Amino acid sequence: MSQTFTKSMARNIFYGGSLFFFLLFIALSVDTSEAIPKQNAKAIITPQVAMGKRIWEDNDCIGCHTILGEGAYFAPELGNVYKRFGNSTDAIKAFIKSRPKNGIPGRRSMPQFNFNEKQLSAIAAFLKYASEIDTNGWPPNIQG
Amino acid sequence: MPSSYTIERRDYPPGDLAIWIFILAELLVFAIFFATYAFTRSNHVALFNHSQLSLNTNLALINTLALITSSYFVVRAVAAIREDKTRLCIRWLIAAVMMGFIFLVVKIIEYHHHYHNGINLRTNLFFMFYFSLTFFHFMHVILGMVILSAVAIKARQGHYSSTDFTGVETGACYWHMVDIVWLILFPLIYIMK
Amino acid sequence: MKYQSQAVAKYYFIAAIALFVGQILFGLIMGLQYVMGDFLFPEIPFNVARMVHTNLLIVWLLFGFMGSAYYLVPEEAETELFSPKLALIMFWVFLAAGVLTILGYLMVPYATLADITGNSLLPTMGREFLEQPTITKIGIVVVALAFLFNIGMTALKGRKTVITLVLLIGLLGLAVFFLFSFYNPINLVKDKFYWWWVVHLWVEGVWELILGAILAFVLIKTTGVDREVIEKWLYIIIAMSLITGIIGTGHHYYWIGTPRYWQWWGSIFSAMEPIPFFMMTIFAFNMVNQRRRNHPNQAAVLWALGTSVMAFLGAGVWGFMHTLAPVNYYTHGTQITAAHGHLAFFGAYVMIVLTMISYAMPMLRGREAANSNKSQVVEMWSFWLMTVSMVFITLFLTGAGIAQVYLQRYSDTPQAFMVVQEKLATFYWMREVAGVVFLIGLITYISSFFVGGKEAEEIA
Repeated sequence: MSQTFTKSMARNIFYGGSLFFFLLFIALSVDTSEAIPKQNAKAIITPQVAMGKRIWEDNDCIGCHTILGEGAYFAPELGNVYKRFGNSTDAIKAFIKSRPKNGIPGRRSMPQFNFNEKQLSAIAAFLKYASEIDTNGWPPNIQG
Repeated sequence: MPSSYTIERRDYPPGDLAIWIFILAELLVFAIFFATYAFTRSNHVALFNHSQLSLNTNLALINTLALITSSYFVVRAVAAIREDKTRLCIRWLIAAVMMGFIFLVVKIIEYHHHYHNGINLRTNLFFMFYFSLTFFHFMHVILGMVILSAVAIKARQGHYSSTDFTGVETGACYWHMVDIVWLILFPLIYIMK
Repeated sequence: MKYQSQAVAKYYFIAAIALFVGQILFGLIMGLQYVMGDFLFPEIPFNVARMVHTNLLIVWLLFGFMGSAYYLVPEEAETELFSPKLALIMFWVFLAAGVLTILGYLMVPYATLADITGNSLLPTMGREFLEQPTITKIGIVVVALAFLFNIGMTALKGRKTVITLVLLIGLLGLAVFFLFSFYNPINLVKDKFYWWWVVHLWVEGVWELILGAILAFVLIKTTGVDREVIEKWLYIIIAMSLITGIIGTGHHYYWIGTPRYWQWWGSIFSAMEPIPFFMMTIFAFNMVNQRRRNHPNQAAVLWALGTSVMAFLGAGVWGFMHTLAPVNYYTHGTQITAAHGHLAFFGAYVMIVLTMISYAMPMLRGREAANSNKSQVVEMWSFWLMTVSMVFITLFLTGAGIAQVYLQRYSDTPQAFMVVQEKLATFYWMREVAGVVFLIGLITYISSFFVGGKEAEEIA
């Protein structure tokens, strides 16, 4: 029976199957693109949030932290840090500002980035925005 | 029905082995989907029953008949090629593909109706399953039609005969699978209360 | 070596191994920073060490893939490379771009690097694995296009085999999906959604085609099994890879602000992602058992078999472990992910490149088919040292992950991230020790190129 199972059959399954599932993936992605703004209507993108995201990227925050569970696993989750810090952007700004320049002996420490007030507010606004994304109930608790 | 093909006992299963592996894999995926549907439904019976009311059972019934009829046409196509009646085989295949088109059109009418009423994949758990399952099946109908068309084209080019009709059987097997999945889907989603 | 132009592969392989060493050194630095938080602070902060570690991995794997293609395609197509000169130019361009980028990470603060490379014009930086300056990304695209052109023209003018075709589809997919790295919307959910089109559709999609093609090539060469049989297997394996892997992308869309239906689609399809890897294991062992000859390069056969097993364990089993949405709810973004990442990248992609190097390098260095027995013994030692130590790294990280999930996410009194991290120190120390053994394995591997050079070639 194995000779009826030909190479061309295998090839057709490869091309047909891949195309089939890629099209299905595209269809689901189109639906998702439509859904994302509706699902996250509470998470409003302001110019300040946009600025905050750029600062987040320009300093590679994701190289230590996770945001919505993605990134490095070296430092705390920041998707819900706004809520963990008592729904306070001021607490976030104060924490970033207070990091010692030369670290803490023997322990992990966030670098001192010397941000100005406007930058600090932008980052805090971005993290507040992130906390308002509807993540289907993740993380399991406030510790992230 | 001619009886010439009842005497011979050919390889079993009919069609190519690869398509059977493929069909089993497909059925497995559908089975997982059905099982998760049934499991989720048992936890949300009221929601599922209520949401079910907005489905159009009549249209689904038309589609069920369309697919059963098309399966019959495919059976006739296989019978035809076994008697070397290539042109007849092609005609039955085209008829089957036409029934597939009817299915697609009716299904699109249903989808359009839901969309018009603002119902989609994200409305609730029931509709998540309804759209996922029926759309996944919808794509299989399209794939089945592509396969049947390819078989018809190859038949026209004279690739099949009463001694070599594995290709036709292979396409037929796949189409029957698509039909069977719908026959489970229809009662599961539209009828079950 | 049948064709002169295959020689360009040697450059790519040597660069790959050199960058591999750098990757491991920075891995050890990071490992130490996990337990000695102030190590090299603030000179090399953790995020810098990490981007060097991960970017070097990606770059050296790309060198490995390109080298493999330059060796494999002329032999499959039975013709000289379209342009060996272009291949060499692109080698130096890619190496320069890679080294400059890594130096950029190390010499200046990342924000300064973003500034001087004009990230504000087309912001693409600062996302995991895509930290490269935009200009480097453009460089990667240019190199990839030139490479595809060169390989494609070679394949076109010669014999067209399934292996070449699959390799080309894989490499083309690699280039196409990389283009999504230039799309970086402000909307964090959309950003993440398309970020996975690069990352997932690479490693759980098109890279599996490259892996399958290289494995099939080495198996044909070392076992002498009929090409028809091997190519049929290859088609079925890669078909399963894409059938499960494309919708399997959904397992990254559970908790990032995307609709809930991905939890179903993602769970069901990614649960099947181990199937192609399992088939690959069956395939490799079957082919070796049905071999028609004993190839003198037993080290290459060992690497090939090892790849199939470790890819199944790392990508298949360790992936499955946390892929179902109810499980992933607790494990998402913990050390479990790190454990899976290590074994999957090593087992699937590091090992397939080392398989190809192991097979091709003796010929590239002027031998008939294989290194001397002495050299092969050292190489096999390095195989076991690296593989076993990577398994232990994975086990320790898995242990850390399970403890982390319990303490931070699952227990009735969840504890803060940093509190939990302190409690995991023992796991991290053991991981670091295993990492040192890995480095010893890597040194052993490199030394295998320098021992037994004068001795007679191994003959079957």
